Amino acid sequence: MDTISLLMQGFAVALSPESIMFAVTGAILGTLIGALPGLGPANGVAILIPLAFSLGLSPTSSLILLTSVYAGAMYGGRISSILLNIPGDEPAMMTCLDGYPMAVKGKAAEALAISAIASFIGSFIATIGLVILAPILAKFALKFGPSEYFALFALAFATLGGITGKNQFKTLMAAAIGLMIATVGIDISTGVQRYTFNTLELFEGVDFIIAIVGLFAISELLFFLERHAGDGLKQVAINKLKLSAQDIIKVLPASIRGALLGFVSGVLPGAGASLGSFISYTLEKRTSDKGEFGKGDPRGVAAPEAGNNGAASGALVPMLTLGVPGSGTTAVLLAMLISLNISPGPMLFQQNADLVWGVIAAMFVGNLVLLLLNIPMVGIFVKLLSIPPKYLMPIVTLIASVGIYSVSHSALDLYFMVGFGVAGYIFRKVDIPLVPIILGMLLGPEMEKSLRHALVLSDGDWTVLLNSGLSIGLWLVAILGLVLPILIGPIVRAKMAKSKHVGD
Amino acid sequence: MRVNDRVFGMLMLILAVAYGWQATQFPVPFGGHESVGPETFPIMLSIILGISSIYMMVRPDEDEKWAPAAMLVELTVVVLSMLAFAWAIEPIGFMPAAALVVSFLCWRMGASITKSVITGVVSSVSIFLLFNNVLELALPLGLLEF
Repeated sequence: MDTISLLMQGFAVALSPESIMFAVTGAILGTLIGALPGLGPANGVAILIPLAFSLGLSPTSSLILLTSVYAGAMYGGRISSILLNIPGDEPAMMTCLDGYPMAVKGKAAEALAISAIASFIGSFIATIGLVILAPILAKFALKFGPSEYFALFALAFATLGGITGKNQFKTLMAAAIGLMIATVGIDISTGVQRYTFNTLELFEGVDFIIAIVGLFAISELLFFLERHAGDGLKQVAINKLKLSAQDIIKVLPASIRGALLGFVSGVLPGAGASLGSFISYTLEKRTSDKGEFGKGDPRGVAAPEAGNNGAASGALVPMLTLGVPGSGTTAVLLAMLISLNISPGPMLFQQNADLVWGVIAAMFVGNLVLLLLNIPMVGIFVKLLSIPPKYLMPIVTLIASVGIYSVSHSALDLYFMVGFGVAGYIFRKVDIPLVPIILGMLLGPEMEKSLRHALVLSDGDWTVLLNSGLSIGLWLVAILGLVLPILIGPIVRAKMAKSKHVGD
Repeated sequence: MRVNDRVFGMLMLILAVAYGWQATQFPVPFGGHESVGPETFPIMLSIILGISSIYMMVRPDEDEKWAPAAMLVELTVVVLSMLAFAWAIEPIGFMPAAALVVSFLCWRMGASITKSVITGVVSSVSIFLLFNNVLELALPLGLLEF
């Protein structure tokens, strides 16, 4: 088998001492970031990108580091869900439902251990799915011409709001803003200056790393300040771990089902990790015998955790094979690849086979590291939760600024970062989602290039955009992605809110 | 109240018009006009932004509460302190600038002055050492350079 031998080569890359070091570092940092309430995986990866970049790490090392941070943050998110009843990010919400009640009942250690095992199963199965599905999809995507690519980008934006998205027009608006920022700079094909106002610094456009850190990290600081989450949070005490093989066997089916559902919703555009953990939880609740769901059933911890970790790995499939990320964090990872001069997409699997398979193999290694790390050492991560955010947030901000400064040693970048932070704060106040903005900045140049390419080939005939069954299909899915949330979004949201209330 | 979306939509509409108009003013590239020039994509974007901002003004969502005026002043001060840090990092140097801004931020987030200063100094010195000596990324010394 071709795939197997490529994967074996990948393991040769992933098992080098250097790669293992990056995977372990990433896993630890990621878990720390995920465990802190308020800092999700997207923030974590955003803060670390400039660092990886200015350290001049090789593409493979940077990507291993950041995917481990991503996986680690997905693991870490469960810690604050279980101990504080505060989800680190949206996908971790469902884990609160049974995790926190378990902790209150004096079974915090069991809940943490079960969730770690379920996270491992979720990621592991989804990574296998990635190995099987990604090369197939990449081969399929080789058939894409410029008009198909243009339709694909449109689809990515249309489905970004997700099924649970609230106001589709705001997603559209955010995407337009991002794409507009991407047009700043010298037009590559004609050399015409666009929106540069003759400022030298703008000739090369606006650096998306600065935008990402500003929009995510700095605006988060401003929000934190406003909410005045000043003091340390009261957490549930941790008991001594008493977990029998039987307990693990009991949650195995739930974990495996959760992993598969999560993977599928990760791969599908627009579904994402939130829906992954939601579906896994509700399905488990429905299929299981009359359990104690909502009151601390271990299966209610295992299913959503496996689901959200499965979705996290699943989301890498469209990102790596098509260059179209399905979630905020994968968008940030894409930014990283682009800034390393690697264009994701079908060609990635041919031109950078070493990199892709090295990273995939590193995900297996990273998950194993995370499992080993999370069971015995969970106490260390828990300690971090007792550090009040009033000390932590300023330090995180400082680290983010240092990272930005180190990329080009220019204070101007820092001004831009603060500017994006303020803009991000205002956007969040009027409910404009940030991820489409980032995605617009990232995909803008490629999207415009494919549009112009397609139109030049057809001599300006716009019907070329619908020239094949494939592109028509993509447009149809895009329209569906835009319309569906308006129809069924309110229903899904109401259901999610209802199950959350039961947990309260 | 549904004011936020109306105001924001209005601003975005102005942006859309200005952006689209600017696109029509691009110089004709060398070699004459093509069917798709540098202005095609921007004009499309300005139309999308225009439509969605009009929608936002016509059917605004419920407002998210803005912070009270005192908090807005507070946030402005914090933003200014970060800009001051950006300005100070080169002439004054990383360590003093970072120590000041971190102490200030901790204090504004509700920590006591002593603890804020300790956090500021310890974090700036350790990050400096980490970056300069372990990661070998030079940060400006500024005043401490002699």
